[in-house]
Amino acid sequence: MADVAPAEEFLQLAGGRVHLLRASASPAGAGEPVLFLHAAGGAGQWLEFHDRLAGAGFDVIAPDHPGFGKSDDFPEVEAIDDLVYHYLDVLDGLGLDRPHVVGASFGGWIAAELAVHSPHRIGSLTLLSAAGLRLPDHPVTDLFLLPPGKLVATLFHDPPRPDPAQAAPAPPPGAALDLDAIIAAYREATSLARFSWVPFLSDPKLERRLRRITAPTLVVAPSDDRLIPVEHAKRYAATIPGATYAEVADCGHAMYFERPAAFAAVITEFLASHPLAESGVSR
Amino acid sequence: MKFSFFHLMPYPYLPDDFDEKYDSSALTYPNANFDPKLGSALYARYLDELEYADQLGFDGVAVNEHHQSAYGLMPSPNLMAAALTRRTTQARIMVLGNAIGIRGNPLRVAEEIAMLDLMSGGRVDSGFVRGIGWEYFGHSINPTKSRSRFNEAHDLIIKAWTSEEMFSWYGDNYEYRYVNLWPRPLQQPHPPIYIPGAGSTETMKFCAERRYTYMSVYAPTRIVRRWFDGYRQAAADLGYVPDPERIAFSVPVYLADTDQRAHAEARPVVEWLYRKGLKQTAEMVTPPGYMSPGSLRGVLASGLRGLGGDYDELRANGQAVVGSPAAVAERLAQLYDELGGFGQLIGLFAIGPSTHAQVMRSSELFASEVMPALRPLGVARETAVS
Repeated sequence: MADVAPAEEFLQLAGGRVHLLRASASPAGAGEPVLFLHAAGGAGQWLEFHDRLAGAGFDVIAPDHPGFGKSDDFPEVEAIDDLVYHYLDVLDGLGLDRPHVVGASFGGWIAAELAVHSPHRIGSLTLLSAAGLRLPDHPVTDLFLLPPGKLVATLFHDPPRPDPAQAAPAPPPGAALDLDAIIAAYREATSLARFSWVPFLSDPKLERRLRRITAPTLVVAPSDDRLIPVEHAKRYAATIPGATYAEVADCGHAMYFERPAAFAAVITEFLASHPLAESGVSR
Repeated sequence: MKFSFFHLMPYPYLPDDFDEKYDSSALTYPNANFDPKLGSALYARYLDELEYADQLGFDGVAVNEHHQSAYGLMPSPNLMAAALTRRTTQARIMVLGNAIGIRGNPLRVAEEIAMLDLMSGGRVDSGFVRGIGWEYFGHSINPTKSRSRFNEAHDLIIKAWTSEEMFSWYGDNYEYRYVNLWPRPLQQPHPPIYIPGAGSTETMKFCAERRYTYMSVYAPTRIVRRWFDGYRQAAADLGYVPDPERIAFSVPVYLADTDQRAHAEARPVVEWLYRKGLKQTAEMVTPPGYMSPGSLRGVLASGLRGLGGDYDELRANGQAVVGSPAAVAERLAQLYDELGGFGQLIGLFAIGPSTHAQVMRSSELFASEVMPALRPLGVARETAVS
């Protein structure tokens, strides 16, 4: 694994600034661009997973969604259709004609909608346990109602236990709260709610539109997803023309947080076998 | 001072293992725990209590709106108000209020309040609330739109009540091509408006600009003082001193013939109210976007987290007033001073699982012995401003 330090960039759009991290082990301009759309958690984070994709030579571009991380709020982005136009603006602003698009969970939903709206702008599509489908028999857990402890238990197959030797001592009763951290988390939850409170993390019309997707598509699910049941990934794979399906074992919805190497491996293999020059059909 | 008898209409029959088994009395508390026979009897009893308050000389009888909850059994406060229009004669009928932030069709609220106003001979007060956090889960309303929906519904309702010309409405949340309210309300230009505040400076300003009554929710005295001062300041910024009657203090009140008896009876019901009735998770209280980041920061910094529930602490904090008539009168006069004055007391006299006999006795003692003593307070003597 190449240890590739990401560059921090800001992209100015009409409605505000988009913050993004970007890195590639390839010489400038040589790596195939991969637009990575983060999950509801993980904005502004460059993790082992990103490092591995960049280390494999891809030009990994990881923007923060509107209202997440260091991106501006973009108050006019109110719903999933606005997010599609937002990311079309991002593609144009970055000069990306037809990149690989990889989206996880909430970001996977955006990726799928983008591919439905503008199939010709997508070099390849990778959906990591994407939200977006409305499957009443397999409801998505209401993450908005989960207290932090239960949320962690829901997201991980094997929830991390704090190491007592390394854990910081519990704050004394009455200690000052980290208000900035609480407010930042509340802002991101607010942004997610703005886009997805109702319909809950889904677009009821998405499933019937998936036939429009023309890019080679990989759908990946973690074996033990307690947030978005694996049936969602299976439905995506069954409905998107020519999509392939893969599962990563012993992993929860946290996916690239819990099994970064395995997720990076399955994705890099797929991307490498679908170079941009050959993939997709322009409409 | 004006006095009103406020009812939450709680469902008090919680199981013994409630504390261990359930994290709230609302939203996720299974409705298998609701016994319709008991519920039917409760409605009859609770309406009797409100009607009795009218007979006792309370200035107002008050109801409110809650959903999917044992804390309050009034998904539709307007239905209760309708029942009261026919069986009370003197008291204001205070709907405190309609949760217009979560209503799909605010025009319906304008219609129903107008009906109530006509049915009651102009006795209706119309409160507007956003609806509390868990109700945004329960009715699938996006909490990030809460304030926008509230403001727009308010503007629409006021215009519908006051316009004598048909108009169209195109807003961010609602669209109507034909607004032409039949019937129009009796009170002109419209029934008095009450808005509860919990620290938001936007709300203080909103009320002060429109001369609406600003009412507190249950919170420690030092915090309610800050809210009332904020409202007074917002009025001062606009160049006037508010009529004391525009400031309403809400508090649970319990009286018995002696202090000893009052405390023995009140302790369990006050603790029920704060520990069980109001039990909810942080996620239910503040769904994402329900508060602005600035308001959330203010609430966290002020230490208004959790409601505690220790009986003596609640009384010391002015979140429950309990005792013999003399002790209650003394304590309320003290709170009047500590809060910088108020002209309305909205008392919760039916607290949690208190019995019908207890509620009737408590309100009798209040009406006969406390009201006369406190009546001179909070009268609009200081409103004469140049």
